[in-house]
Amino acid sequence: MTDILVMDQVSKSYGEGDTVVTALNQVSLRVGKGEFVAVVGPSGSGKSTFLSIAGALLTPTSGRVMIGGTDVTAVSPGKLNRVRLEHIGFVFQSSNLVPYLTVIDQLRLVAKLAKCSDQIANDRAVELLKEVEMVHRMHHYPDKLSGGERQRVAIARAMMNDANLILADEPTASLDSKRGRAVVEMLAAEVKSRQKAAVMVTHDERVLDLCDRIVTIKDGVLISGDGEHSHNTVNQTDRMTAATR
Amino acid sequence: MFLAIREMKHAKSRFMLIGLIMVLVACLTFIVSGLANGLSAATTSAIKEMNTDYLVFQADSDNKLNRSSLKEDKLDEIRAQEGVTAAAPLIQTMLTVASEQADKKVDVTLFAIEHNSILMPKVTEGRSLSGSGNDEVVVDASLKAKGVKLGDSLHIKDTDAVLKVVGFAEHQSISHMPVVFMDMEGLNSLMTSLDQRMPNLNAVAVTGDGAIKQTLTDKVEGIQIATKQEALKGIPGYKEEQSSLSMMLSFLVVIAAFVQAVFFYVITLQKTNQFGVLKAIGASTSYLATNLIGQVALLAIVSVALSIGLTFGMTSMFPDTMPFELGVGVLAPYSALLIGVSIVGALLSLRRIAKVDAIEAIGRVE
Repeated sequence: MTDILVMDQVSKSYGEGDTVVTALNQVSLRVGKGEFVAVVGPSGSGKSTFLSIAGALLTPTSGRVMIGGTDVTAVSPGKLNRVRLEHIGFVFQSSNLVPYLTVIDQLRLVAKLAKCSDQIANDRAVELLKEVEMVHRMHHYPDKLSGGERQRVAIARAMMNDANLILADEPTASLDSKRGRAVVEMLAAEVKSRQKAAVMVTHDERVLDLCDRIVTIKDGVLISGDGEHSHNTVNQTDRMTAATR
Repeated sequence: MFLAIREMKHAKSRFMLIGLIMVLVACLTFIVSGLANGLSAATTSAIKEMNTDYLVFQADSDNKLNRSSLKEDKLDEIRAQEGVTAAAPLIQTMLTVASEQADKKVDVTLFAIEHNSILMPKVTEGRSLSGSGNDEVVVDASLKAKGVKLGDSLHIKDTDAVLKVVGFAEHQSISHMPVVFMDMEGLNSLMTSLDQRMPNLNAVAVTGDGAIKQTLTDKVEGIQIATKQEALKGIPGYKEEQSSLSMMLSFLVVIAAFVQAVFFYVITLQKTNQFGVLKAIGASTSYLATNLIGQVALLAIVSVALSIGLTFGMTSMFPDTMPFELGVGVLAPYSALLIGVSIVGALLSLRRIAKVDAIEAIGRVE
């Protein structure tokens, strides 16, 4: 299995001298094709920093990040938007759709940015909206959609540029458990069928069973990154979920 | 422009309101500039239209026609100078005349000239001064609006003298008064009939090669020589009128710049988070900047175009006698200026867009 996302000994610290705060400490992670990884941890543990670095939004202090074979730590900050456009699809927390674009235009915008032809973009957008069951709403504006529908559009948008890596930042944050689960199910299904590598930062334990692997960040350190351990975690979570039912 | 147009469509009312303000400011700019242009013409057109390079005044007359007084022999002296191709005498005096037919009194400025000299304006209707009929006059076409027609007689107030209108000339106005052109001989016989002495010359119009200004200043005593442009400044009230209007115009342009700059700045501040998301999904700063400039330019161009229409609509309701002149020569530079300052104002917002970090998109709940 080829690894899409490779994070090698990545550290990020803020401040200087005595006031240095280390947000991430020597974090390494590999995510392969068709693999859906959940990153959990208490707030302030460095989850956001982790995702920002994996998403080429932030440059690490040390270490290396490879996305689809490209060393993004070597790319100049001015060109990072290009890397994000071509290699990464984002699903953010709530309402990160552009308010004045209709559902289909949200997707077409990504194609515009990539300078893709209109006809191809249209076909692809419609196909993706069918997959996330939003095609009947494609001429609506985001303010007419429910939270779950918006996240489904966001998933379709993340797939639009056919990126290898999908990053999701608390995609269930503003949803109730049923809708949240439906959104993550949809995300997992897309990741599997399209063979993407996906990383989801979340604190919603009810959706962890949909992930292949769970890693925990605590105080900037990745605790459970290896396969075996994570399977235990999944099993534990399963049991927990079963117990709460 | 993908984003620009969709946003403007979606937030129609917002953009229409700011566009309306722009239309009104631009409209006011055009009307004030038309007025400045019209007033300038009403005050100076008779001098502006003169077919001459220089005007010679008496020394220390501040280039004012009514202050200047030149003896007949100065004219001969000027004519004798090397390089002078033509020199034409001019006597100016104010009159109040009443048209016999229209029964209405009008203040006019009388320009007494030699009928075959360079100062004779182009006659657009009727005929030119013949030089034989002593009471003949060619008058400014604006008198037509006061009911004066070809062949009419104009009574000079407080006298029995009558002037006969034989022709009309366009754009002959000075200090808001229409100019009446009369032959020098005609004025002479008029003065004789009124038992008055022929007045001195007020100025001499001179054409010639480039060196004549220096030659005349050196060789002829007691005169000063002015270009047409300098002579305009000597017309009473002209400078004051124009400078107050141009001050208004510069304020309007500054206001137009600020209205758009502030509007787009506030909108940009509101959208900081949205710009973060757009940058995170791969939009470059230059893509977002192009869209912003596109919006600003589109709004400015449409507003200016609408306001040109509105201005012409409004001016068609102005009375004919109002000194108002609006042409491409006025509209084009002010339109370009208004659109230009709008785009310069948008640079303020561009700085904000450039500063937005894509990382704003992460870890944010709204």
